[in-house]
Amino acid sequence: MNKKRILLSCLRILFRNWLNTLFMILGVSVGIIALTITFSIGKGTEKQVMDNVKKQFSSNNIYIGAGRGQMGSGPMSQGPISTLKIEDLEVILNDVPGIIMYDPVQWLPEKEVIAFNNNVTTMIKGRSSEGEIIWNRTVQTGLFFSKSEEKNASRVALIGSKLASVLFVNTDPIGQQLRIGNIPFTVKGILEDKGVDAHGFDMDMDVIIPITTMMKRVMSVDYIMSASLLIEDVEQMDDIVFAITDILRERHYLNENETDDFSIMTPVEVKSVVGDMNKVFTLVLPLISGIALLVGGIVIVVMMLMSVSRRVSEIGLRMAVGAGKRDIIFQFLIEASLVSLFGGLLGFIIGVIGTKTLSSSMNYTFVVPWQSILLGVLLPVAIGMIAGIVPAKKAAKQDPIEALS
Amino acid sequence: MIQLKSISKIYGKDSGQEVAALQDVDLVIERGDFVAIVGASGSGKSTIMNILGLLDRPTKGEYYLENRAVNTFKDDELARVRNKTIGFVFQKFHLLPKTSAIENVELPLIYSDRKKIRGLAIEALKKVGLENRASHRPNELSGGQQQRVAIARALVNEPEIILADEPTGNLDSKSTSEVLSIFRELNLSGKTIILITHEQEIAEQANRVIRIHDGIITEDIRN
Repeated sequence: MNKKRILLSCLRILFRNWLNTLFMILGVSVGIIALTITFSIGKGTEKQVMDNVKKQFSSNNIYIGAGRGQMGSGPMSQGPISTLKIEDLEVILNDVPGIIMYDPVQWLPEKEVIAFNNNVTTMIKGRSSEGEIIWNRTVQTGLFFSKSEEKNASRVALIGSKLASVLFVNTDPIGQQLRIGNIPFTVKGILEDKGVDAHGFDMDMDVIIPITTMMKRVMSVDYIMSASLLIEDVEQMDDIVFAITDILRERHYLNENETDDFSIMTPVEVKSVVGDMNKVFTLVLPLISGIALLVGGIVIVVMMLMSVSRRVSEIGLRMAVGAGKRDIIFQFLIEASLVSLFGGLLGFIIGVIGTKTLSSSMNYTFVVPWQSILLGVLLPVAIGMIAGIVPAKKAAKQDPIEALS
Repeated sequence: MIQLKSISKIYGKDSGQEVAALQDVDLVIERGDFVAIVGASGSGKSTIMNILGLLDRPTKGEYYLENRAVNTFKDDELARVRNKTIGFVFQKFHLLPKTSAIENVELPLIYSDRKKIRGLAIEALKKVGLENRASHRPNELSGGQQQRVAIARALVNEPEIILADEPTGNLDSKSTSEVLSIFRELNLSGKTIILITHEQEIAEQANRVIRIHDGIITEDIRN
């Protein structure tokens, strides 16, 4: 008995029955294509979202949002909640140890901004001068607004580089005027480039103005939408979250039966929320593709069974000339595995090409993880082996006398 | 070489309607003999051929092949004995379709430990005079040529015994005499030939004719 010779003989048989072989290969490759693409999209999306999260949340930030809303839906979804105040943050900074600074945030997602004859509808964010540190975003040219400008609710603005080129075209925007609604502002600086945030907003189109100016002059409100706190030590995160919760509940006069009218997010929670979203990509989609692969396996079982019936006389002959039952089983398992392997490799190659094509056409990065090469090789071979068992056993049970008569 | 001791083969044991295809058959075949087993269909000659060829097991009795009690062997051991000791030739040739003559001849060697199998296969094709048809597929060969390829396949692993079941049943008279003369040559070179047939004139080519009827040997004569 010589395994290498049987293997060669299998290859020849597969080649000679190329139409059958092709059908089985295609059956498997469809599943593997689906699996490779969905797996890559899942991994790519996960990486992209995680990169964005890292861009916006340093690990020692705590985020307080007005209202019960989760990060994923955004505080706006429950309508404006007017209970979170800058005074709350002042008390928290004074009473809770381990907090370095805070940055209150108020924002309008769509507001008209005008300069010269150009106007753009974009996002206006109100922040404190500490926002430069907390959000880890400073200016690339010009200056960030100062503490005194914040105190005086000065009409100064920082703008993203893309917005600058839309509004001012070739003019240097620093020192120029722009209007937010009817209120004139002086451009103080161009913000560092940050790209797209986790919600899909292009941060290079941002306008950032002092939080006080935002609240008094633009929105006429006395409350804020959210705040970020910078803490000294990540280890204290849980204690600080408890302390903040107590203070806010007390200051907002919430009794025991009432739920929080604010939500506190830590980077750990942000990651887990994002992770949950990504389970759709990394688990559910591949699961569906897995069903496609199962169909591929069934195609192999059916076609191999047909092949066994068609080759009864060949099997009988092989037995007569000295093939043991084990040799016959080996032969059919190898045939099924080879077909699956070819199908897997073909599917993997098409899947990778498909992923690349999708990435470039959707301007989105999909990662083909190295693990998926296992997907393209080991998984199909395993499926082939399993799919080959039933036909191989059927073949080995063949009575050579009946087969040869 | 071959010794059968009161071999019986009984079918339908489970259903209660027992039919004995062979009944207490004793038979000795010497090394280098040319034996024809003759009988009508249903006489038991196919059964005796399957038992001699180790494709089937007797219901009872002992079978010694080269002094080994092969009736006690396991399936995989029997496969190895078939591979080394017995070469089969069938009425319907049983060549693999879409497969060249040389690859058909190589088939038994796939399951052997022999080296340089291509060379051995060419040697075997030379013995049947078909070395120039090595790359032809069965559908490109005549019936007689196909049977000669099948004989080459039976020879390739140099077995002691050639077991031929109605080898000329599907052949015209010219091919029949070609095939029979190959068997005679093989016998002269020392092979033991066992020919199963229902035709008297084919049987007459053998040195010894064993007639079988209703599962019993009724006649055993030397020509």
